[in-house]
Amino acid sequence: MYLELNHIRKSFRDKPVVQDLCLGLDRGGLLCILGSSGCGKTTTLHMIGGFLSPDAGQILLDGEDITASPPERRPVSTVFQSYSLFPHMTVLENVIYGLKFRGVKRGPAREKGRRYLEMVGLAEYANARVYEISGGQQQRVALARALIVEPKLCLLDEPFSNLDAALRFRMRDELKGLQQELGMTMVFVTHDQEEALHLADRVAIMDQGCLVQEGSPLELYRHPASSFVSDFLNLDQLAWGEDGTLMKIIKKGEDF
Amino acid sequence: MKRIFALLLCLMMAFSTLAGCSGGNNNPTEPPAPPATEPETNSPDVAPEPPAAPSAPELGGKMKVVATSESYVDLFDKFTEATGVEVELLSMSSGEVLSKLRAEGGVPSADLWFGGGIDAFMSAKDDGLLEQVQFDAMSQLTPGFIDPDGYWFSKGITIVGFLVNNSLAGELNLEVPQSWSDLLDGQYEGEIIMSNPAVSGTNYAVVNALLQKLGEDEGWAFFEGLDKNISYYSRRGSDPKNKVTSDEFAVGITYLDRTIDALLADYDVTIVYPSDGIPWVPEGVAVFKNAENVDAAKYFVEWLFSDDDNLRQLAEIDQKDGIKIIKPSLEGVELGYDTSILMDEDLSRFGAEREAILSRFEELMGDKAVAE
Amino acid sequence: MDRLSNNYRKGASFDAPFRAASLLADRALLAVLLGSICVFVLWPMVCIALRSFQDSGGGFTLDQYRTVWSSYGRSLGNSLFVGALTAFFCTVLSVAVALVLATSRGWARALLMGVLLITMVSPPFVSSLAYIQLYGRRGWITYRLLGLRWSPYNQWGVIWMQSISFVPLNAMFLQGILSKLDAGSIQAARDLGASPACILRDVVLPLIRPGILVSLLLTFIRSMADFGTPTIIGGRFNTIASDIYLKLIGYSDLEMSAAMNMFLMAPSIAAFFLYRRLMRHCSAITAARQDRQTALELPLRRCGGMGLLAILVSGLFFLMMALQYACIFLTGFLKVSKGAYAFTLQYWEQLMKYNLTSLWRSVGYALTVSLAGTLFAMLFAYYMERRQVAGRSFFDCLVTLPYMLPGTCFGIGYILAFNAPPLRLTGTAVIVMANMLFKQLPTATKLCSAALTQIPVSQERAVRDLGGGHWSGLRDVILPGLRPAFLSCFVYNFSSSMTTAGAVIFLIDPGRQLAVFRLFDAVYQGEYAIASLIATCIIAIVLAVEALAYLITMKAGSRHVS
Repeated sequence: MYLELNHIRKSFRDKPVVQDLCLGLDRGGLLCILGSSGCGKTTTLHMIGGFLSPDAGQILLDGEDITASPPERRPVSTVFQSYSLFPHMTVLENVIYGLKFRGVKRGPAREKGRRYLEMVGLAEYANARVYEISGGQQQRVALARALIVEPKLCLLDEPFSNLDAALRFRMRDELKGLQQELGMTMVFVTHDQEEALHLADRVAIMDQGCLVQEGSPLELYRHPASSFVSDFLNLDQLAWGEDGTLMKIIKKGEDF
Repeated sequence: MKRIFALLLCLMMAFSTLAGCSGGNNNPTEPPAPPATEPETNSPDVAPEPPAAPSAPELGGKMKVVATSESYVDLFDKFTEATGVEVELLSMSSGEVLSKLRAEGGVPSADLWFGGGIDAFMSAKDDGLLEQVQFDAMSQLTPGFIDPDGYWFSKGITIVGFLVNNSLAGELNLEVPQSWSDLLDGQYEGEIIMSNPAVSGTNYAVVNALLQKLGEDEGWAFFEGLDKNISYYSRRGSDPKNKVTSDEFAVGITYLDRTIDALLADYDVTIVYPSDGIPWVPEGVAVFKNAENVDAAKYFVEWLFSDDDNLRQLAEIDQKDGIKIIKPSLEGVELGYDTSILMDEDLSRFGAEREAILSRFEELMGDKAVAE
Repeated sequence: MDRLSNNYRKGASFDAPFRAASLLADRALLAVLLGSICVFVLWPMVCIALRSFQDSGGGFTLDQYRTVWSSYGRSLGNSLFVGALTAFFCTVLSVAVALVLATSRGWARALLMGVLLITMVSPPFVSSLAYIQLYGRRGWITYRLLGLRWSPYNQWGVIWMQSISFVPLNAMFLQGILSKLDAGSIQAARDLGASPACILRDVVLPLIRPGILVSLLLTFIRSMADFGTPTIIGGRFNTIASDIYLKLIGYSDLEMSAAMNMFLMAPSIAAFFLYRRLMRHCSAITAARQDRQTALELPLRRCGGMGLLAILVSGLFFLMMALQYACIFLTGFLKVSKGAYAFTLQYWEQLMKYNLTSLWRSVGYALTVSLAGTLFAMLFAYYMERRQVAGRSFFDCLVTLPYMLPGTCFGIGYILAFNAPPLRLTGTAVIVMANMLFKQLPTATKLCSAALTQIPVSQERAVRDLGGGHWSGLRDVILPGLRPAFLSCFVYNFSSSMTTAGAVIFLIDPGRQLAVFRLFDAVYQGEYAIASLIATCIIAIVLAVEALAYLITMKAGSRHVS
């Protein structure tokens, strides 16, 4: 396994938030951690990113134990829920900030930055201030900023939650395309079942700090481990394509 | 609405005047003292104790006093006992008083001005800010120490000398200076502290008196020489004393009185009465023109100078005996020094020359303002 | 249907007359606010300005200005020099202290906060005396400990003393900005591989740059107007403010000192306008972020040279402050005899014999001023920030003027303005309290304005949308939302009122003595022990009242929530 979480535990003030969590992901895969708020998914992500250290357990990335290394030493980068762009820098400066710590000279860094901006369709905004561009554009800047350092693993913390529905759909497709194009390994946290089933190669469902089930979307559909899973995913409202990808969700009340 | 308000105001005023009057009436005049017998003679064996208090006029209300210190409160309490006039005391330096008076533009917020270098009083008289006071006992006061027209009086005399820190002087191998001219010696460089004469009436007296004694040219040459040895001119009158006792400077040019004498108990210091003369300055008392309670303030001046008990108490509070010079007939207060050591000063020049002297002095100080 | 519900919403309650009344009250309130600013700030300023053109006979002249120009250029130069360096050193210190404060947690944070709160109370004179005692020619530290023979009576002493004494307020201000920094930015930078040192340099410092500039400018203005420090420890070094003070108390030359004031204000006003522009920028970056309860995630110890410097510098600051205040407290209980120190209660007993009314009067005045001043500042900030009041920037500038003047001059302005009918206020308690209130208003309104930007405009809109007027918005959203600002504003007002002296010395009436003047008197008599004890009492009272205010607002806050 490329990414391995072995028996991770974390408590806040004696309240267990993540309990004995084991997860794995292959290189180039996209894992979605899915669950309602408070299930421990974001805590898990923060532990992978290094912002929290687990009380027990081990995190391995590409065969290397990264459990104890601080975020700045991990070959992992994150797209934050609120993007956390630097308000005092331009778009381009934001994107290339991380290259500075990887020994990239300023000239080549800017060049690479422009390439990545192009990739996310923001080439003409290179010199704009981040508070001058829209939410969707900020989202893409954050993505480019995370990807440009070519991390071994990219983490996304509910990255689309601040976007409107139409934009969310588009960004979802763009992300998937980008991930496949770069062969990037990603962990994605969301509470949106549809998003998870659409995007992920693997889905991990968490509830109250425990892993409930892990598998491909189709596996989850075919063999839900419990009624919790089938209820949570509303599986009877899904329509699946021949190749096992999700085609459509029939929501209750949609025709209302 | 407005009318009601006006009515209320009238009522309040009526009450307050009533209260004021009754306050006066409740304190009937002290048992009428025998009329002041003109004590022409000063011979101690004959001089009867001057009358306790001249018959007090009907007084009341409050008297507001600006004084150099709050330690006079006992004296004013006695006045309150005698007259029923309540006294409120605020301590302010004479420079502050003068600025405040000028800003007030003829409507002063206080009635009596008690203490401070006489030059400020002269200046206030010239600006027409003081009220004339006349009373019988004035004739017993030494001329020259009171304004001939009765605009200001002297309640005492401040004399100036040196305070020397023995241990510091020993450490720096300094001799104890004995005279003003000694201070010019190069050994004292940076070790002398004196107050800015613009702020300190005492130190203004030093400048004016020495200029009178040495003459214009020699006088200024002296101060230029002195300036080389002076570390800086403090902006508060008490600083030289305080900084010598705290071992910061070896020599301070300071007022001398019994509080300075008392320092000998706790500090290793020497008090020097300069052999070539002691500059001195009277401390003023005056009544403000247009003050709310002019009558009380005027009577206070009369009361103070007419009754020797009051003057003795004052000398006790002030911890100095200069009042003896002002009222030679005063008994029970003896000068701790011989008047012959005092410099000859023409006080009338104190007020007139102040501005010119200070601006020249400012120039002199300013020359090495940032020398340190 | 829509219309109907609208009518229902706005008309059904019995509030038509009520609404009219509240509109009226709103207008009246605004009129009172602006009117009193005109009376208590503008009018005294105009009086000072007029006086500066007056010759001895009362006619018009420019002589004063000619003299100022020719004789005091050097002093102004000195002021600018001291102001610039003080602003620099003070801001460096403040940033360091704020960083340490923002990144510390637990008891260390509580301790540092406590020290900073104590040092916010700075009674006049005694701090300078303590400074001389510690670092003077015979200072306990400089001479006795280190054996140095140096004189503190020069420009460096002034700069040093000012820098230190202005730190607490600046550090509080910067700490506030740091605590509102977006934690995400720091996380993101870490995530991208930035070391703590890089985060400090690339993210934290640039983000608080507007705050740093504000601190620089405000310190500059404050230093320009400070006459006390150069007067006491300037030695032969004069600044324009100390010259003004000397002109006033040495020469009683009102016209000249008025003209010098105008001279002094020019650079300060320029600095103020710069400040206003920066402040707007500052709020664009830090606007509407919630106060974080947790410490800033930035291990200063691993922040390289800069982090270590911050720790070192703030450690030095706290050490000096601890020494200074310990020195103040100790002086009250030490008796010097022949160079030896001995513990004594003699001064304490002497103090107890004093009439303590002046102390209680001080507390009474300070309480009144703090409550009234805080309310005034909150309302003023509200009208300036949230309502389109005509002449807004004019009033905003006007309110700041007292900050730029040496206190004594503002006091003289009050005598000039209020010693003649119809506004004869001299000799009353009102003039003293008004002077304190308006002297402190600049800082108080700045505190409130900053807090106001934290309250989303949408909340107020919600009130109006639900049928409430401006009045209800003010009462139900703004004032409750300003609770934290109320506390800091109250604390600032109270401690300043208890320790202010320069402005009030000319206004105080015999019989209305304040504790601070007892302290003055004691210093003047050289009774440093008594002065220290009075200062200690003042500090203790201020801290007690602050603690009480804290408890009350917190209690009220929790009741409000539940």
